[in-house]
Amino acid sequence: MKEFRRVFLDGISLENPLTVLMIGLCATLAVSTKFEGSFFMGIAVIFVLVMSNILIAAVRNFTPDEVRIPIFIVIIASFVTIVDLSMKAFVPSIYAFLGVWVPLIVVNCIVLGRAEAFAYHNSVWLSIADGLGMGLGYTIIIVMLAAIREFIGSGKLMFLGNTIVALPSGYAGPNIILLFPGAFILFGFIIAGSHALNRRARVRSGKPELVQERDAGCGGCTACSK
Amino acid sequence: MPRKGSSSLQIVVSLLVVCAVAAGGLALTYAVTKDRIAQQDQLAKEKALSAAVPGAQNFETLGTAAVSTAQQAAGDVTVYGVYKGTSGQETVGYGVEVGPRGYGGPIRMVVGLDRNGKVLGVSIVSMNETPGLGSQIVERASFLKQFIGIDAETAQADVKKLDMITGASKSSRGARNGVLAAAAIYTALLESGAVTQ
Repeated sequence: MKEFRRVFLDGISLENPLTVLMIGLCATLAVSTKFEGSFFMGIAVIFVLVMSNILIAAVRNFTPDEVRIPIFIVIIASFVTIVDLSMKAFVPSIYAFLGVWVPLIVVNCIVLGRAEAFAYHNSVWLSIADGLGMGLGYTIIIVMLAAIREFIGSGKLMFLGNTIVALPSGYAGPNIILLFPGAFILFGFIIAGSHALNRRARVRSGKPELVQERDAGCGGCTACSK
Repeated sequence: MPRKGSSSLQIVVSLLVVCAVAAGGLALTYAVTKDRIAQQDQLAKEKALSAAVPGAQNFETLGTAAVSTAQQAAGDVTVYGVYKGTSGQETVGYGVEVGPRGYGGPIRMVVGLDRNGKVLGVSIVSMNETPGLGSQIVERASFLKQFIGIDAETAQADVKKLDMITGASKSSRGARNGVLAAAAIYTALLESGAVTQ
C-alpha cells in the first residue's frame, strides 16, 4: 500500500507527465482553450491510461519482447476507440470540441510511455497506481491551464452549458492567451510553479538535490539496470 | 519478467490473441453505441435545419443527382446534403448543408433559403474554430443574422457589404463562403429543375 501511494503521488508531483516528464504536450496545448473540454480530455486520458496499464501489466509475462510495441498499440488503440465511441454517443458537444484529439490519444506519448516504462515491468496493482497518478497529474495541469486560458481569454468559465464565473460583459480579454503563443507562455509559468512546489517538498523532506532514491525520472523502471 | 527470444509461433499466436480480443471488445462497444451515435447526429442535423429554415416541420432529403449538381456548383466547398423543408403540403424552403473551410477545418453549416432564393437563416452544425476568436461567428448573434435576406442571385455582391469579425477573418470568410456556396447551389438546382420556385 505504501508503494502504491508513492507511485500514485509521483505521477502527480515528482514525475508529473506534463511539467516534469514533459510528454504529451501537443494535445495539451491545443485542447486547453476550454475548461470543460479539458476536463473530459483528462477523464479520457485517465481511463485509457489505467485500463491499458492494467492490461499490459497483466499480459506482460506472455508478451514476446520482439512484438511488445504492436501489442501495446493494439491495446491502447482499443481503449481509445471505446472512449471515442462513448463520447460521441453520450457527450456529443464535448466530442465536437475535442474533435481529432480524442483518437489522437492513441499516439499520446504519456500512454505508450507509461506502458513501456512502467506497466511492462511492474505488477497490475502498481500499474493501476501509476495510471491513476499519471492521469490525474495530467488532468490537474491541463484543467488548470484551460481554466486560466478560458477565464482570461473570454472573461467567463463554462461547464456543461452553465456559466460558473463571469466578468462583466464589457470585458475584452487578450486574445493571445487563447492562441498557441499564450499557451506556451502560460505553460512556462505553470512548469515554474510546479517545480517550485516540488523543490519545497524536497527541502522539507531534507533532500534538496534533484536526485531521488530511485533513478530520477524513471520511476522504478528496471529496464536499464537489468 | 518479459520474455526474450520467443519463437515465431509464440509471436504469431500472441499477436493473434491480442488482436482478436481487441476486435471483440470494439465490436461490442460499437454495437452498444451505434444507435445512440446515429441518433445524436440526426438530432444535431435536425436542430440546425429547423433553425435555418424556420417554419418547416418536415425535411425531405433530395436525391444523389441533386447533391452531385450541388457539389459541382459549390466548387471546393463540400456539400453534405440538400433538404426540402415542408409544412403540410407547402414547401417552406430548402436547407443546404455545406462545409466551407474555416480556420480550424471545415465549418459544417446549414444555410436555409426560401423558394425565391432568399436566405432564411444560417446555423452551424459543428466547427472547430478558435474559442473566443473564430467561435464568435456563433456567439455574436448579429453575425449570422446579417446573412438573412440575401438573394441568391445577387449574393456575390451583397456579402461584400457585410461586417466581418475583427481577429477572426478566416472564420468569417468561411461562413461567408458557405452562404455563397449555398446561393450557387440554389441557382444550379433551380436550373436543373431539382428545386422549384
